[in-house]
Amino acid sequence: METASKKLVLENISKHFGSLVAVQSVDLVIEPGEFVCFLGPSGCGKTTLLRIITGFEQQTTGDVIYAGKILNDVIPQKRNFGIVFQSYALFPNMSVHQNIAFGLKMRNMPQKLIDERVAEILQLVGLTEWEGHYPSQLSGGQQQRVALGRAIAIKPNVLLLDEPLSALDAKIRVRLRTVIKKLQEELGITMIYVTHDQEEALALADRVVIMRNGEIRQIGSPWQIYKEPKTSFIAEFVGTSNFIPGKKKNGNVQFGRLELAVSNIDDIDSETVYLAIRPENIELIDETRPTGTYLPSNIVEVEAEVINFLGAVVRVSFTLEGEEMLVDISEKEFERTQLKRKDKFKIYFPPDEFHLYSELFKKLI
Amino acid sequence: MNTSKPAAAIANSYTISATRMEIDRFIVPTVTIFIGLILCFFMLFPLSAILKMSFFKGGEFALANFTLANFQKYFTTAYTLNALWHSLYVSIVTTIIVTVIVFFYAYAMTRTTIAGKTFFRNVIMMPLVAPSIVQALALIYLFGRNGLITAHLLKINWNIYGATGIIVSEVLYCLPHAFVILFTTLSAVDIRLDEAAESLGATPFKVFTRITIPSAKYGIFSAAALTFNLTITDFGNPVVIGADYNVLATEIYAQVTNLYRFDLGATISIILLVPSMLAFMLNYYISRKTFSMISGAARPIIPPSRPLKKFSYTTYCGLVTFAIMLVFATVIIGSFVKIWPYDWSLTFRHYNFPSIGGYSAIWTSVWVSLIVGIAGAFITLVAGYVMETRRHFFKRTIYLLSVMPAAIPGLVMGLGYILAFNKPYYLFYGTPWIIVINIVICNFTLGILSSISNLRNIDPSIEEASISLGGDTFRTFFRIIFPLSRVAFFQNFVYFFMRSMTTISAVIFLVSATVHLAAIEIIMLDNDGWTASANAMCTCIIVIVLFMLGILQIVAKKTGRRPDEIVSQI
Repeated sequence: METASKKLVLENISKHFGSLVAVQSVDLVIEPGEFVCFLGPSGCGKTTLLRIITGFEQQTTGDVIYAGKILNDVIPQKRNFGIVFQSYALFPNMSVHQNIAFGLKMRNMPQKLIDERVAEILQLVGLTEWEGHYPSQLSGGQQQRVALGRAIAIKPNVLLLDEPLSALDAKIRVRLRTVIKKLQEELGITMIYVTHDQEEALALADRVVIMRNGEIRQIGSPWQIYKEPKTSFIAEFVGTSNFIPGKKKNGNVQFGRLELAVSNIDDIDSETVYLAIRPENIELIDETRPTGTYLPSNIVEVEAEVINFLGAVVRVSFTLEGEEMLVDISEKEFERTQLKRKDKFKIYFPPDEFHLYSELFKKLI
Repeated sequence: MNTSKPAAAIANSYTISATRMEIDRFIVPTVTIFIGLILCFFMLFPLSAILKMSFFKGGEFALANFTLANFQKYFTTAYTLNALWHSLYVSIVTTIIVTVIVFFYAYAMTRTTIAGKTFFRNVIMMPLVAPSIVQALALIYLFGRNGLITAHLLKINWNIYGATGIIVSEVLYCLPHAFVILFTTLSAVDIRLDEAAESLGATPFKVFTRITIPSAKYGIFSAAALTFNLTITDFGNPVVIGADYNVLATEIYAQVTNLYRFDLGATISIILLVPSMLAFMLNYYISRKTFSMISGAARPIIPPSRPLKKFSYTTYCGLVTFAIMLVFATVIIGSFVKIWPYDWSLTFRHYNFPSIGGYSAIWTSVWVSLIVGIAGAFITLVAGYVMETRRHFFKRTIYLLSVMPAAIPGLVMGLGYILAFNKPYYLFYGTPWIIVINIVICNFTLGILSSISNLRNIDPSIEEASISLGGDTFRTFFRIIFPLSRVAFFQNFVYFFMRSMTTISAVIFLVSATVHLAAIEIIMLDNDGWTASANAMCTCIIVIVLFMLGILQIVAKKTGRRPDEIVSQI
């Protein structure tokens, strides 16, 4: 098999709805067998981009290329791409078996082979004993398994999943996530997964594509996205970040009365800088450690405001120079310090944990 | 791929047939063009024949023949001109009365906690199951020259013939149509608005005038426009009870049938078309606004009404339902007694129809209606699908053509059919098929609107799922869309069947010496003085339509939908 050439390439794709720009100059190469997540807030163009790949939406400019062939004028039926919809979109008038067999029937496969293939698929998605049931007799999670099975039954070149888990309960969502990931790894299918849930994207993807306002803002492994968010928007959207508006002064960043030491301060030219730091990267001062462990300029004393016990970590909010911020402390540290509301405690901003941005995205509240 | 299993490897050798997909590209355009052509040929062409007949001398289309003589004649003849004023007068009065009556009726159904709502809701729908002549027949039996109430109980000389009779019978006929609209509107408007106003200290009267009525205003206008349209285009009631009081619809019939003045008939048709078109356009414009206001979200519980309010609304609804039931009771009883109102002994002899048609007319009606039902439900579903599918083709043009029939009075369409198709090479002329076609076209609008609204209830992802799996238009429609629409299909079937059994105005020009229809027989029998047999024919139609509705209820129950939901959609 010449799998090496079976790349899905998006070249300079744009989509305009009247004056509205839904997708803007998207370039992307998806390798065979890769699991790619499109991640972004609602209205960022990720679903439109998915629908352009499926052929349900025609791009205004650009090319969709699969295995070296331009698909722009190829109808959805002939693209052989499987789709899993948010609403499952099972055929309510057909049993589980008939649903999974539908695509094979459309390919005029002999009934005997269809039955074999359906049995195989049912095994894969763990629904063998539900074969004769109708969608209305299944739970949401089971329905989505059928939809998944129906889409992979046709051996799709690419499997596209449009927020497949957002209609499900939190617990089932996590379980089905594992099912999808396992299927992808076992079958080696190229998958494109659209979601607005950053946790889902980080957990599943080989590569995450962050979209905003119709454009790709960052492409990278989940680790890269989390550790090196390119923009302040990504720092806020993926995970949680505290933002500190400041000004450069003597090689440090002035923030109210504070002058914080920041390692990579020369990354940014502008005078005004925005520092982002994740709650888990702010440290609690441990008085037992030798002096000199901490840079004195980055130590501040704050007052605990709201304490949220989240299980493994405890999230504490405080106000520093008029900015509301969060710090995560481990459950052990919490036990040690016995922190209560209105208690004063000392925290430390490690200079190398800051991300620097020249502008702050506007929060949508 | 590394995990290739035997069956999986085989799967790769089966692909979507390229030829099938090539053919598939043409299916939606072909079907769209086909439906477009049908509507052009069976709607626009007959209409153009009427225009030709009224504006051109001898109905010959040529610039030199253009004339306004027909219109001049119409407007200078006092008798025919009166028909216009009469029509406008009865329609306006009926519209006002119906809108007021139905508003409070719908209010009682949606905003009060009176008992027996299901009963009240079903009774007000009853006029739909009978031809729009049953009201006039009943009123004559009760208030006519020899009426039970006027001549025998009160012993007065007054009778109901003329304008009063037309207005009362039209009011009774239009109630269900207006009710469906106002009931939907009032159910959709959030009752919590009223509660909010009350909690802020508004008196019940203020709440009613400042909140309830304004929030339902589109529904009120829409119901009024529809009532106006139904009344001005109705033929059955005025022809029976109007006596010398001529209206446009009866005048068209008289000119054509009695005087053979097709040119004047066509001219009056144009004059009738203007107000009915205006009312339709107003209704169309308004109902689009109403639907945008309706949200499925709010269905709060109605707070219990005060005893006095409950009592007055129950009495009120009781009176309205009494009037409707009285109509049906009179006609049905009238068909079984020897000589109304002198000899009350029961007899079946009125069911030995003295006319040529008789029972054969009923059978013709039934099989014509069955065909109309199947053909109408199917073609409107297909037309709705090609309009709603993602690869639609000339959607707006087809949509516009599809909603036009509702603006054209049945009588005008029927006259257009004679003028257009009365040629030897139109082989369907003079056969029941022209009646089938005519009824399907006349009722196309409601059929297609309900098809579209049902198709919109199907998750668009389902169609996309089928397409992504390789489903072509044909198989997507027959394996998925059609099975999912079967209840809607059957509803539409019953709607077309019911319209076909009860319509008079659309087909009165199309029946012939060889083709008789039950609804038309009523007029013939009444005309010849066999009023009791006319009642008997009416009763037969009512029984057949009720039987079909009964089947609908059973089907609906089996598929788990609430039956009253379905009835209210009809």
